[in-house]
Amino acid sequence: MTGLPAAEASPVSPAEAHALEEFQEDVQKYLVLLGKLEATLPKLPKKPTAEQIDGNQRALGDLIRSARSHAKPGEFFAPKMQAVVKRILGEVLSGPDGAEVKASIMDENPGVASITVNERYPASVPLSTMPPQILAALPKLPQALEYRFVGTRLILLDTHADIILDFAEGVLAR
Amino acid sequence: MTLRRSLVTLCVAFSLAAPGGLVGGAAPAKPAASKSLVTLPNHHGSLKFAVLGDFGTGDPPEYEVAAEMAKVFAGFKMAIVVLVGDNLYGAERPQDFKRKFEDPYKPLLDAGVKFYAALGNHDARAQRNYKLFNMGGKLYYSFKAPNEGVRFFVLDSTYPVPEQIAWLEKELKGSNEAWKIAVFHHPLYSSGTRHGSDVRLRETLEPLFIKYNVSVVFTGHDHIYERIKPQHDIAYFVAGSGGQLRPGNIDKVSDYTAKGFDTDRAFMVVEIAGDTMSFNAISRLGEIVDSGVVVRRKPSTP
Repeated sequence: MTGLPAAEASPVSPAEAHALEEFQEDVQKYLVLLGKLEATLPKLPKKPTAEQIDGNQRALGDLIRSARSHAKPGEFFAPKMQAVVKRILGEVLSGPDGAEVKASIMDENPGVASITVNERYPASVPLSTMPPQILAALPKLPQALEYRFVGTRLILLDTHADIILDFAEGVLAR
Repeated sequence: MTLRRSLVTLCVAFSLAAPGGLVGGAAPAKPAASKSLVTLPNHHGSLKFAVLGDFGTGDPPEYEVAAEMAKVFAGFKMAIVVLVGDNLYGAERPQDFKRKFEDPYKPLLDAGVKFYAALGNHDARAQRNYKLFNMGGKLYYSFKAPNEGVRFFVLDSTYPVPEQIAWLEKELKGSNEAWKIAVFHHPLYSSGTRHGSDVRLRETLEPLFIKYNVSVVFTGHDHIYERIKPQHDIAYFVAGSGGQLRPGNIDKVSDYTAKGFDTDRAFMVVEIAGDTMSFNAISRLGEIVDSGVVVRRKPSTP
C-alpha cells in the first residue's frame, strides 16, 4: 500500500472484502466522472497563481455539484464500509503506537466543524494530520482523492476541487 | 553557545571536516566577498540557499523571521529557498497565499529568489500547482541547483507510496551531481518530544540515502531547530520553526542532538562550494544559533 513496512491488520472477512471492493469501485467511477468534468474546463496555466488555482477549483466544484446533485452521506462510506473503517482505525489506535497516532491526528485537528457532502472543505478549517500508520491501513486512494479527519469524522476529499465527497461519522473514539 | 550578530560581521569562516564528517563551530577568519550577517564564506560562484519549515502562519513571528531573511539576503545572496513543508497553516484561499507567503517573503521574491516547496502534513495538495512553490504540479520532484553540481530531491513524506519510492531510487541512481540533498517534511531523526523521529519512514528512505550517497537531509514537522549527530555519515537537520514554535520541545537527554534550538523561531542559510557545505541557523532575532561545515559523501570504493 505504501512504501512503508506494512501495518499490522487483521485479515478481512468476506463481508469486509466486499465492502472494500464496492468502495474502490465507487472511487474508480468517481475518477471517471472527475476526468470527464475536468476535460471540459480550460487548462490551468503551467505556473498558476493562487487565484487561478482557486478559480479552477471552484469551477470544477460547480461541475461536480451539478453532476452529483443528489449526493448524500454514505455514498462512498456505506454502512458496511464505515464498519470496516471503524474496525481498521480501532486496531491501529489500540496498537503499540495508538496513543501517539491519536495524538498526532488531534494535533491541530479542527474539531467540530460543520461539513457537508458536495461542498468545499471549510476555508477556515486546518487540514489534519494523516499518520502513516492510518494511511497504510486504509484502502489506497488515487492522487486526486485523500482522507482527512475533521474532529472524529473521516472525510473523503477531492483534492482537485477541494470538495468533500463523503464522510464517516464518529470513526475516532473521543 | 550563540554568536551575536555583532560577531557575525567578523566574517568567520570554518575549518574543513573530514570527508563525510561534520564539524560545528567556528575556525579562523577568512575574508568574505561582502559584509554579511552570516558567518559563511560567501564565495563568489558558490551555491547559496536558505531552508525554512513550518512557517505559513501569517502571524507576526513569521513576518519577523522573513524580515531577518531579507536582512541576511542583503549580504548573502541566496539563489533559492527550500521549504520543508507546512507552508500554509489553516485556510488556503488566495488571500492566505498572499498573507502567509507572498507578503512576508516579498523582498526575496522581488529579488528573484526561487522557492521550492515540499508538502507537509497540513498542506493541501493544490499547492503543487502554485507557481511560486515551483513544484511543477508534482507532489515529489527533483531539481538541479543553478551551480555547484547540487541536486535536491523533494519528497512527499506524508504519502511515501511505492511509486514515489521507486521514483526516488531511479532519480538518485541517475543523478550525476556530486551533492545529493533530500528535502521533505517528516524527520527521520528528531529529538522533538511532540513528534520525534519517524522510524518507519527512516526504514524506507535511509537505505536509499546511504546507497546513493545522499549527503544532507533537511526536514521539519517538529517545531524546533535541530542538527542531528551524523547518521551513517549523513547530515540531518530539522528546521521546523520558521513560523511555528514549540518552546522547550527538544528532549534534553536525546542521543541524537548535535545542536538544538527551541526557544525562538529559526531558519537556515547554507553555502555549498566544492566539496563543503557551510551552514548557519539563524534565529528570528538574528542570532546565529548554530553553524558548521559538512563535507559531501563520496561513493565508496569497492
